[in-house]
Amino acid sequence: MTDNIKNKLDFLKKGEYKKLRRPLNEKIIRWDEGVCEMDMQTYLLKHMLQNEEPLLYEGDIFGFNRTVYETPVGYIKDKCYALETGNVTPNYEYALGVGMDAILDRINTKLKDCTENKKRKFYLSMKESISDCLDLADKYRDHALEKDNKILYDALCQVPHKPATTFHQACIFVKFIQFTIRCNRNIHITLGGFDKYMLKYFMADLERGVSEDSLFEILEDFFININLDSDIYYGAQQGDNGMSMVLGGRDINGNDRYSILSHMCLKAAMELELIDPKINLRVDKNTPLERFEFATRLTKKGLGFPQYCNDDIVIPGLIKHGYDPIDAHEYTVAACWEFIIPGKGFDIPNIHRVNFPKAIELATNERLLYCENFDEFLKEVKKYIEAECTSIAEEMIKNREKATPYLSVFIDDCIERGLDVSEGGGVYNNYGAHGVGISTAADIIAAVKKSVFEDKFCTKQELISAINGDFKDNSSLRNYLLSCPKMGNNDDYVDVFAGFIIDIFADVFSRYKNHLGGILRAGTGSAMEYVRCAALVGATADGRRKGDTFGSSYSPSTITKLKGPLSCIQSFSKHDLTKVINGGPLTMEIHDNTFRNEDGIKKVASLVKTYISLGGHQLQLNAINREVLLDAQKHPENHKNLIVRVWGWSGYFNELNIVYQNHIIKRTEFMV
Amino acid sequence: MDQALVFSIEEFSVFDGPGIRTTVFLMGCPLRCMWCHSPEGQVFENFILRSPNGCSNCGNCLKHAVTSNEFTVFTQESIDNCPNNLLRHCAVQYTPDELYKRLEKNFKILSASGGGITFSGGEPTANPKFLINTLMLLEGKIHRAIQTSGACPPEVFSEIIKHCDLVMFDIKLIDEGLHIKYTGASNKNILTNLRTLINSDKDHIIRTPLIPEVTDTEENIEAIAKLLSSLGVGYIELLPYNKLAGAKYALVNRKYTPSFDTERSVKIRNDIFLKYGIETKIL
Repeated sequence: MTDNIKNKLDFLKKGEYKKLRRPLNEKIIRWDEGVCEMDMQTYLLKHMLQNEEPLLYEGDIFGFNRTVYETPVGYIKDKCYALETGNVTPNYEYALGVGMDAILDRINTKLKDCTENKKRKFYLSMKESISDCLDLADKYRDHALEKDNKILYDALCQVPHKPATTFHQACIFVKFIQFTIRCNRNIHITLGGFDKYMLKYFMADLERGVSEDSLFEILEDFFININLDSDIYYGAQQGDNGMSMVLGGRDINGNDRYSILSHMCLKAAMELELIDPKINLRVDKNTPLERFEFATRLTKKGLGFPQYCNDDIVIPGLIKHGYDPIDAHEYTVAACWEFIIPGKGFDIPNIHRVNFPKAIELATNERLLYCENFDEFLKEVKKYIEAECTSIAEEMIKNREKATPYLSVFIDDCIERGLDVSEGGGVYNNYGAHGVGISTAADIIAAVKKSVFEDKFCTKQELISAINGDFKDNSSLRNYLLSCPKMGNNDDYVDVFAGFIIDIFADVFSRYKNHLGGILRAGTGSAMEYVRCAALVGATADGRRKGDTFGSSYSPSTITKLKGPLSCIQSFSKHDLTKVINGGPLTMEIHDNTFRNEDGIKKVASLVKTYISLGGHQLQLNAINREVLLDAQKHPENHKNLIVRVWGWSGYFNELNIVYQNHIIKRTEFMV
Repeated sequence: MDQALVFSIEEFSVFDGPGIRTTVFLMGCPLRCMWCHSPEGQVFENFILRSPNGCSNCGNCLKHAVTSNEFTVFTQESIDNCPNNLLRHCAVQYTPDELYKRLEKNFKILSASGGGITFSGGEPTANPKFLINTLMLLEGKIHRAIQTSGACPPEVFSEIIKHCDLVMFDIKLIDEGLHIKYTGASNKNILTNLRTLINSDKDHIIRTPLIPEVTDTEENIEAIAKLLSSLGVGYIELLPYNKLAGAKYALVNRKYTPSFDTERSVKIRNDIFLKYGIETKIL
């Protein structure tokens, strides 16, 4: 790490610069009824950009720093009108390759022949927003000149107006796109396949004689830079900001696309140990073990990434769901784990969630007493899950997104079609839902089967009463239920029910299309719903008490005593996961002690490789130490840099809501 | 008896031999090393233990416990009636067949990484019949290793190592008096078995736990290095004292009271081993 990078890291960690930020002048913008969404969105962006002043920090070579810590909110009369859309990867490749002026020209040409009012409005809105954004870029260029920052000034004379010609310019262009889209309240805008679209600039620089070292320094500088304002980009929790990048993967011809730049990104993340960018690594059964070993060194840092995505499952899964094979090979993640196509997708992957334990709770309470045998019960469970999936699907297809012309600039084929992303301008317009508590749901079914129908440990009525009484005064029944087979221990007795649930989920969803002709995608993710959905369900037949959370995404329940990671990866890779292409990882905690030497690193790498070859779709590994987490709760002041993986993103432990802190600690209880 | 108590099966064990290994911990040990991190594995009888974390002090477990001579013995009723599921039997009884079935599911994964099964303890050689029968079942199916203190009768040791693919052998203290002081037993058999192992054609790894001021002293390290070098050993693995060694004593209702200073950092005397031409690796 160079001194320059050390200083910048220090600058970031001290955080003094945050004091320079101002509130927004006029935060609430009101309209009368009948206002056009596009006008609102365009005005909100304009207003925000006019509030922003150019601000350059010491040695800043990127610019576009937030000086206003909030964004304006639109109201129609007294009603707040949220204009947020996210979980999208813009088409960086296109924008960087042609420059914003050329995009403006293209829109002007389209406008010339366009007679349709609505389309004209759309093009005009895009144009206005681009001009507003370029105005800020020009202000930055002039400011750089004033500040005698020649490096930045020279670069800003080229980008974003004209195509990027160097790696540095390309980084600025990416930052410009992110900054401006986020000024428009679209927060979860990811970096996408950074090592793919940036590679040509990187290689051009190398050929021009720029040294690898200086390119690595720019890359590290850029990584630090995108953390500067991460506290402003606040999702469900701080850190949930969508700043993810997807490295490696294979193309349509089967070529491995892991490059020198991919490797540098991993290396930079390893050196810097910051929450952003959150690294995803695309791998498959042919990925060499050494790459897993290198990535495991990053896992060792305890940041909770890289997250692994398995091309062998994801690509065929996307193709099966109607994605073009070429596009399927370009997949990235929408923020956490949701597989989307960069620059083409307006897939909204997190529109809703199916609460599986809730459906089974209802089936148990309403139907169990009338079931003569387990098969009858299972049929009832199926009906209830179908009903839950159906009602969620019907809710989902009612979803309408708000117009967002500026974001549409970066999504194919909005300009071509003259259609906003919210109206189907994008190539893909699919919706997706979380599948929450799949392991808990499978555990419940298995526990009912064993307790009531096989062992006859209790009667149906006893079981129902015990659950409804939250097992108070019935510890022995609860302890028995806890000892029933649980998902995560490679026991088909229970794992088979996860397959059963996934099949129903995918089947019901396959019957629906949204108003844009997009499909509904089933997934194994949960986001924060492992907390929210769990709060809607009382005690359950698996022995879970009321108030306990579910496992996060496609992971074992936190009450499960796990045999170990070998059994766990087998449980969670045995079903056909191409059906749940909305994504959602298996999350496993491994004691940080395991990583203490080369042997440990090699063996963890080999565990990951095994998971991939077994057909798992997505994996998050946490190197974690329970004692450290407990101490951090007691003495947060001693653990300011402690980073943990929460659901699909990493954040600073101290900044998490206590519920999530406790969940992470709970996950480590049966850690192996 | 052709059965043994297994107090833990660690599926993914990283430091117990080559590749990904599953380590089976057999209950019972003739030694009482002061730094033992598995106190629950020392005795030969099963018992019920209670996790101290999450206890709501309801007293249900004690209501069903038998108390005599200041010892509290929990019963099955104590387990059943704990509202927080904190009590369990320390170990599970297995026959070799049962254990084989339990392990078999992961053979493919273990073998793919160049790993296998390791038997540890307690002291695995303290259950010789069970161990040999299990090793025989595993023969040709998967790589087999044991992790032993060598504290067993020499004729038993010779028989056991015949059925192993790798023997990891701990050598702690060369001075017999100190060995008795810190582990509660003489090292006569251990040194005999060490020679047997090294002179055999078995793959082996010699290991030394580095305990501050106990095994990491200049005299002891020098003595170990000298002995190993005289036997032609050129490689040793060193296991620095783990400060978490005392973590499980509360679980078995005992106090962890080693006579050495647990806060002192261990001396890692690679130089002495090197002097004798022995390479080291720190685990």
